[in-house]
Amino acid sequence: MDTLVATGGVARRPSRLSRIVDAYGQELVVSAAVLVLMAVAGAVNRRFLSQTNLTSLFSGNAYVAVAAIGMSMVIISGNIDVSVGSLIGVLATIAGTLAVKGYPIWLAWLFPVLVGVLVDAFIGALVAYARIPAIVVTLGFLSILKGGLISATQGAWIGNLPPAFFIAQFRLFGIPSPICFATVLTVLAALWMRYSALGRAIYAVGGNSDAARAVGIRTRPMVVFIFALNGFFAGIAAILFGTQLQVIQSTVPPNLELNVITASVIGGVSILGGTGTVVGSSLAAVLFAVISSSLIFLNVSAYWLRAVLGLMILATVLADMARRRRIG
Amino acid sequence: MLRKALVLVVGSTLFALPALAAAGWTGGDDLPTNPLPCDNSSVAMAAKPYDGGVPTNPPDRKGKKITVVDVPKLIGIGYFNATSKGIADAAKELGNVSVKTDGPTKANIDEQITFIDNYITQGVDGILFAANDPVAIAPVLKKALSKGIDVVGYDANSTPDARQWFVNQAQFNGIAKSLMDNMAKEIGESGAFAIVTSTFTTPNQARWIAEMSAYAAKCHPKMKWLETVEAQEDNVLSFNAATTLINKYGSDLKGLFGMTSVATPAGAEAITQAKKCGQVAEVGLATPNAMKPYVNKGCVKSVVLWNPVDLGYAAMYVLRSVADGTLKPGATSVKAGKLGELKVVNGSEILLGPPFVYTKANINNFDF
Amino acid sequence: MRISLRSLLRHETVLGVLSVIALAVLARQSDRFFTTDNILNQGRLVSELGLVALTMTFVIVTGGIDLSVGSILGLVAILIGVFWKAGLPLPLAVILAVGLGGVAGLVNGLIITRFRVPPLIATLATLALYRGLAEGISQSRSVRGYPEYFYVLGQGEVGGMPTQLWLLLAGMVVAAVILGRTTFGRATYAVGANETAARFSGVAVDRTKLLIYTASGLVAGLSGAILVSRVTTTRSDMGMGLELDAITAVVLGGTSIFGGRGTVAGTVLGLVLIQALRNGLALAGVKGDGTIVVIGLVLILAILVTNIFGRDGDG
Repeated sequence: MDTLVATGGVARRPSRLSRIVDAYGQELVVSAAVLVLMAVAGAVNRRFLSQTNLTSLFSGNAYVAVAAIGMSMVIISGNIDVSVGSLIGVLATIAGTLAVKGYPIWLAWLFPVLVGVLVDAFIGALVAYARIPAIVVTLGFLSILKGGLISATQGAWIGNLPPAFFIAQFRLFGIPSPICFATVLTVLAALWMRYSALGRAIYAVGGNSDAARAVGIRTRPMVVFIFALNGFFAGIAAILFGTQLQVIQSTVPPNLELNVITASVIGGVSILGGTGTVVGSSLAAVLFAVISSSLIFLNVSAYWLRAVLGLMILATVLADMARRRRIG
Repeated sequence: MLRKALVLVVGSTLFALPALAAAGWTGGDDLPTNPLPCDNSSVAMAAKPYDGGVPTNPPDRKGKKITVVDVPKLIGIGYFNATSKGIADAAKELGNVSVKTDGPTKANIDEQITFIDNYITQGVDGILFAANDPVAIAPVLKKALSKGIDVVGYDANSTPDARQWFVNQAQFNGIAKSLMDNMAKEIGESGAFAIVTSTFTTPNQARWIAEMSAYAAKCHPKMKWLETVEAQEDNVLSFNAATTLINKYGSDLKGLFGMTSVATPAGAEAITQAKKCGQVAEVGLATPNAMKPYVNKGCVKSVVLWNPVDLGYAAMYVLRSVADGTLKPGATSVKAGKLGELKVVNGSEILLGPPFVYTKANINNFDF
Repeated sequence: MRISLRSLLRHETVLGVLSVIALAVLARQSDRFFTTDNILNQGRLVSELGLVALTMTFVIVTGGIDLSVGSILGLVAILIGVFWKAGLPLPLAVILAVGLGGVAGLVNGLIITRFRVPPLIATLATLALYRGLAEGISQSRSVRGYPEYFYVLGQGEVGGMPTQLWLLLAGMVVAAVILGRTTFGRATYAVGANETAARFSGVAVDRTKLLIYTASGLVAGLSGAILVSRVTTTRSDMGMGLELDAITAVVLGGTSIFGGRGTVAGTVLGLVLIQALRNGLALAGVKGDGTIVVIGLVLILAILVTNIFGRDGDG
């Protein structure tokens, strides 16, 4: 953005409230959108606000929020990952295969996460050391992972899984575990990125990598590390995704990477790198889920669903731009 | 300017909100429908003259080894794995066919056309296909015919003149009748139901929904259609769609239709997890294996399908008969290996049989 | 702002060598690969992607991206059917629909230049919006039964070559001339290399971008018309995934995703390589899933090899 070209105007010292609004603007915009939509949908159909509906709504989409945590870190560092959907499909299949073959459940949960970390670390190495742009590497891996999955499984369903495997269907203190995972991971990630040196270094790498290097941050290992983190979150998302139903489909979930990227971006993560929070992207993932569900409750004609979704994305983006304009 | 744009965008959103009143049910197409009679009387089908395509100067393939390619809508999903298996089984039985299944990794007509085109160039003897779009696939199939290649379709038809024969798993109106009658039996003549389908542009699903709408208007006029939701061919999306419908309509919803072999088990799962087994019925198309857990627990009473393995098996036999010259235009039946004699209907369609209903009594006898 | 001829040449050479190797290997695997028939046919099949990749080159050279081209293609295809069915004579319907594709591209450009939304986000939103418009306007119905003369565009031949291939070749020449030899082309590179400096140097940055995104939409619409003519029907899901294929071709061809570098010749080479792989691998007996793995590997390896041979400090 052309912030170099100052357009003049004397800045008055903003009030404390407006500073908070400016700093967390996008998160507030997204939260406001969520609440407004929920209120409108609830007004049209009270069942939208019922406990059953809200629980299944948030629980069923929590895995997108988890994946968005990793994606946000990648985007904040100035890169992108369009292969995360294919990766999640592969990892969920690995988890199911291990479980059905009789391996211990904890292994079926943890091994895919490890695989995710390794695959994405490799991608990160290609980006950082071979200096191939992230979009190129991940575009290539999108095809490689997808083709590999089909070759290996032919899309066969994995059934007869042991009941202890379905972690996404467990409840902790009455709350479905996906919601717990998403909330805890978001909070931990947000705190880590704000208060730890390593976490803040991510912003530095994305904001201005030359400056980052100048203050002693080793940008290349950082990029590998950030991608590895992305793989970690993708692995957890894959487990939550794959254990929702009694069978695993061994296919790549359609459009997942677009949804995750959109969630990160709507949540305020700047595609130019350097700003944004994981809280914003998790909130945006929630917004997405609320939009998709509320449009059905609002009886929007099924043929126009995607158009309305596109308009809403555009509206949120324009609102964010308007807010940034005001700050300068 | 920014603010004006914002207002415009939000305003347009609000304009799109009122549901547009649809003539039929959402998800159906607007081709003419032909509902069957409400009772179980059979309708004599008037004999139609052969309307299939004709290959140009095909070489004499009688008794010789032929190479065949099978191009389904997409590869990597269970349903077409099953048809593929049937095709391979038949090829093995016949002994003089070398067949390969290849296709796009998503249900995209453009990619499917490219696949078929490549195989035409490669010079195969026969093409089996399940079309993503009946009209769009016609030009490339006609090109195949013009090069003397035998073309037989299954599961999803093309326009008749683009292929020689089409193996139909069941008539569209027959499936519609079976589905609607089963639903009426479970939820009563004034029950309300919703539909989960793949996409509104998938030809088979659109035909079924259109026929269901016509049949319901004729024979179950008091049953209430609530809405149709798209869920692609994805497990999780279908599950989420079904759960949303259950939550939206609460106790008003008595039944769910699953229009794909993925949507039906996902819907049953949604009903199970919502603890509404017995309160919401799930009726749909699915493979028996996917539904066994729900049928055996009593959550789902009936599953409608045909045998996709048999479908592929029959298609392969039909292609071999065409190549051998034993199945000619104007024939009224064809011999299809262990399936026996299959009837020719509608000019150039070969009927696999009436739709099969799997229930608790018989579902455990099947394994696919 | 001088484009380093050496670095450019280096990537083109790598790509050229790769293409020659690939073509040779594929030709060995099947004797049907290198026939005139097949080559012309492949030219027909790649025209839609090729045209979109040409404008995508301009977009990416400016440092932007356009993810909505597939959706614009689908929207224009639907509009052709809708306008024709509404009673407009077919040529007018096609021109109007393709024109609206240009308008869609213009809207992209306005969102990017006027509201300063980053291109990735803007076109991510319009990807959903335009596809949604296609689905809503068509109500998921197809329009078929066009007059025979319309099919010449997608299925016919002119002087022995497929009609759309002529369009693609003409497009390649025009694009190469504009990008390589006109002020507008130099402005495009300038915007991509350093937008702020370009603005200060007096380059009409916003106007350049607007024109490029409009052209991107217009050409996507044209490809839509070709596709409708080729398959004789309209569907709202036409063109899905086209944007990723186009970006792959452009990037493979040496255009830097960060902007400022790239040539039409590179994109053409990238297209040739991808189409040759798709076709040649199929003829050699590799199935669909294997083919996409190979293309993914080729994409990564091509850039990797270029980076190894290239001087570091690029991109």
